[in-house]
Amino acid sequence: MKALISDIKRFAVHDGDGIRTTVFFKGCPLKCVWCHNPESISFKPQIAFYENKCVGCGECKKENFNAENCLGEARVLYGKEMTIEELLPLLLEDKDFYETSGGGVTLSGGECLCQADFCAELLKRLKEQGIHTAVDTCGFVSKENIDKVIPYTDIFLYDVKAIGSDVHIKCTGQPNEIILENLKYIDSLGKNIEIRIPFVPEYNSDQIEKIAKFLKPLKNIKAVKVLPYHNYAGSKYTALGMENTLPQILPTEEEIKKAEETLAQY
Amino acid sequence: MISSTDRYFIERKYHNPEKEFDAFKRMAYHGTGYIEESGLDDEQILDGLAQLEKETEHLPHPIARAMAIKYVLENERIYINEHDYFVGLYSLGRLANKTTFEKWAKDSQSLRDADTLECSRDFNNSGAVMIWTDYDHVVPDWKSLMELGFSGIRERSREYRKLHEKNGTMNEEKSAFFEGIEIEYSAIIDLIDRMYNIAKEQTFDKSSKIATCLKNLRDGKPTDFYEALQLIYIYFIVSESVDSYQVRSLGNGLDGTLLPFYENDIASGKYTKDDIRDFLSYFLMQWSAIGNYWGQPFYMGGTNLDGSTKYNELSYEILDVYDILEIYNPKIQLKINTNTPDFILNKAFDMVRRKNASFVFCCEPAMIKAVMGYGATYEEALNMDIRGCYETGVRANEVSSTSGYVNAAKAVELVFYNGFDNISKKQIGIKTGEISEIKTFEDFYFAFLKQWEYLIQQSMKITNDAERFLAFVNPSSMYSATIETSLKNGRDGYGGGVKFNNNAMLNCGFASAVDSLMAVKEFVFDKKEISLTEMAEVLKNNWKGYEILQIKAKKSPHKYGNNDTITDTYASAMASYFANKVNNVPNNKGGVYKAIFHSARAFVIQGERTGALPDGRNAGEELSKNASAAPGMDKNGVTALIESATKLVPSDYHESFCLDVMLHPSAIDGENGFNVFKGILMTYLKKDGQSIQFNVFNTDTLRDAQENPEKYQNLQVRVCGWNTLWNNMSKKEQDAYILRSENIQ
Repeated sequence: MKALISDIKRFAVHDGDGIRTTVFFKGCPLKCVWCHNPESISFKPQIAFYENKCVGCGECKKENFNAENCLGEARVLYGKEMTIEELLPLLLEDKDFYETSGGGVTLSGGECLCQADFCAELLKRLKEQGIHTAVDTCGFVSKENIDKVIPYTDIFLYDVKAIGSDVHIKCTGQPNEIILENLKYIDSLGKNIEIRIPFVPEYNSDQIEKIAKFLKPLKNIKAVKVLPYHNYAGSKYTALGMENTLPQILPTEEEIKKAEETLAQY
Repeated sequence: MISSTDRYFIERKYHNPEKEFDAFKRMAYHGTGYIEESGLDDEQILDGLAQLEKETEHLPHPIARAMAIKYVLENERIYINEHDYFVGLYSLGRLANKTTFEKWAKDSQSLRDADTLECSRDFNNSGAVMIWTDYDHVVPDWKSLMELGFSGIRERSREYRKLHEKNGTMNEEKSAFFEGIEIEYSAIIDLIDRMYNIAKEQTFDKSSKIATCLKNLRDGKPTDFYEALQLIYIYFIVSESVDSYQVRSLGNGLDGTLLPFYENDIASGKYTKDDIRDFLSYFLMQWSAIGNYWGQPFYMGGTNLDGSTKYNELSYEILDVYDILEIYNPKIQLKINTNTPDFILNKAFDMVRRKNASFVFCCEPAMIKAVMGYGATYEEALNMDIRGCYETGVRANEVSSTSGYVNAAKAVELVFYNGFDNISKKQIGIKTGEISEIKTFEDFYFAFLKQWEYLIQQSMKITNDAERFLAFVNPSSMYSATIETSLKNGRDGYGGGVKFNNNAMLNCGFASAVDSLMAVKEFVFDKKEISLTEMAEVLKNNWKGYEILQIKAKKSPHKYGNNDTITDTYASAMASYFANKVNNVPNNKGGVYKAIFHSARAFVIQGERTGALPDGRNAGEELSKNASAAPGMDKNGVTALIESATKLVPSDYHESFCLDVMLHPSAIDGENGFNVFKGILMTYLKKDGQSIQFNVFNTDTLRDAQENPEKYQNLQVRVCGWNTLWNNMSKKEQDAYILRSENIQ
């Protein structure tokens, strides 16, 4: 069994508690206009070209060019097929750090649950090693796929972007009924959930209170985090030859504080 | 807490902050607020010393020295001031050295072995080894000072003197040793008396408290928290500025030394916690005001024999007062173990992430093993002092002076030119053969080990020769009197009088050497992209014309600090090789050598004198420091760096082992920041790391700070066992930090 992986990040400290290693699976069913990992949207491998890093080594002109040979690291391959056996040792390297910091491994993406069979097996193997596991998901997947990982997932990092489905379509290209249903379903199973709300003023600033109300009856929400939108990913769009859809307006400190206060009221 | 007016005055106590200040000087001299009629100026004191010299030059050195110190203390101008709880001495320039230390140091040169003396000059000029005689780097026994006071220390010395006489073990040398102590401690007591007589005539708010304190310190041991602080201060200022012995820690654990006084005063109601914080703020401000480049160390915490922590409420108060003062000197070492309470860890973490670079975290488990590695018992190791930057030392029983800073990268360079050094244009190393004759990596690697071993062994020869004169040049009456073993032996602490009379040999430029060897292996022998003789030419020409190969060399995954198996295996073998060549080799003081992974400023100074290296480094650039990766080469992040570093077996480095970690502010923000910090520190501790220190940086801020220094007056940098202001560094040093910070963006 293989999965298409776009990146592995060690010392990840914003994808759940403690020090973690995050595996970014490639391919996502949503197309969020603010996506900061555009390299993980497509389900196919891509080679990006960061022009400013090119040192003119000429490797890329050669036949059978492998991005790993690019001297300036200007050409970067996103999307590598990997087996569980290849991944596991990498994920176990920082095991001591997970233990001392209360961290673990996070599966993210893209949408990792689009490759749910692989995720389930990987998570199972990690649990056998006593490692804390988190699944970072947009929720736009089948209930069946969620069921596959449920037994081996300690916490879901669950994105909620909007309550109004029309707003959600505008933000991501897809409706959100399935997402909200899945969230209620995971909650009903007693699984720990951390809600993450990408906060993009132009798109969902009016949704915060609605989200708070929606979350109120749920029983297993351990934390609700506001993720302020940033536009650092611009160069990635260019390097991938993709149309840059990033919104222009960044949230202000005040707006972020207000959103957090609104959520705290519920 | 200290008032802003008083702070303003103390900031002018040691030098005028409006005047140009050279932080590299040990300390500034001549502040304001001294009572002019209480003593002489520098010129007058120097004249008096010259007179005295005529009367004392025939006397044994400890006596002549103590008399010179006595003369200075008798004539120093005194500072007793309404803005300060602490006294002061006007002339901090080690005046007594002019007619004693400096003269005798010159005398010792003519008695030195000519060959080793020349070798030491060559080593320094070529950047192969930085080596000089370390005369003063020590921690007194604060416990005995607190229990006995200055007069009790003198009394104890008198008793031992009588005992030697009674037992028939007295001789001329011992007699001079005891007489030196007698004169010097009497002079200190007389100085305190002189201060007391001035204080008691004053009528300002603090004066009666100061007068009572001085009276008590003149007559005996300190009776409360404030008096204990005053004793530490007086010992420090006399030792560093007159007696010329650096006091490499305030307290045997500042919190531990002060705790009994704190508990007493709180229990009896003599002082409230606010009073205690008040005194601490005046105390800590002294070193902030002195502002020397290397920083004044103190350590805290530790573990009791029953396994409980030594951290207490007072430890926290000290940190909190320090935090509120927003100072960056003194520098703080925290002993860390699995029992270290969260209220200490989180306080320190929070200060570090708010850019306070004063901290180093010293992990007890590995440090205890290191100290036991040269013969200390478990109890001795458990109660060790942390000295200087983060060095180990058996409390009240160890003198460990620095020997050579051995540049491993230079040893690689020497292999290319058969021991000839292109910087100093001299044969520095041994002849390991023409480079054209070296045909395999095995031969190259072996030649490197031979060059390295030669530098180590020559450094030992130089040190052993020079250190015959330690006590001859700089008798340590003030220090030795605090050390009971020294009194029992009737010998100066620097003349072999303590239990552990050691030397430290420093492993410098280590990662640069590892990466260079790996580059030779990869590009010359494995991939055959260039021959060894071509490589020798390329390095001579500083990579000119070979820029693509240089990028390849820099980009290679075989760099120490990235958890790369083959590289780390070589690194670990090399670290062991150095430790094995150094540890427990006898010196000529009855002690042994201790290996140390510390670079001080050698990574800059030796970097300037090391040519281009096979790892892609250009000539003159900084070398790697401590046990850290070469600048910018730890590309796999902090977890991989710690994996690599702890494979070196840190406890093999008996004197110290330190790792530098750079973190981006966002990595440690919010609640999770505490978990992340704890994860890094505790993993390092569990993997038997010794010391670890942090810089919290982001590249944009550093770039902005370089362009707009005025906006960043308080930006601090952790250098190498000390912290300094960003603005005190050269552009080249700043560039190296910017380079390193790019990996963590």
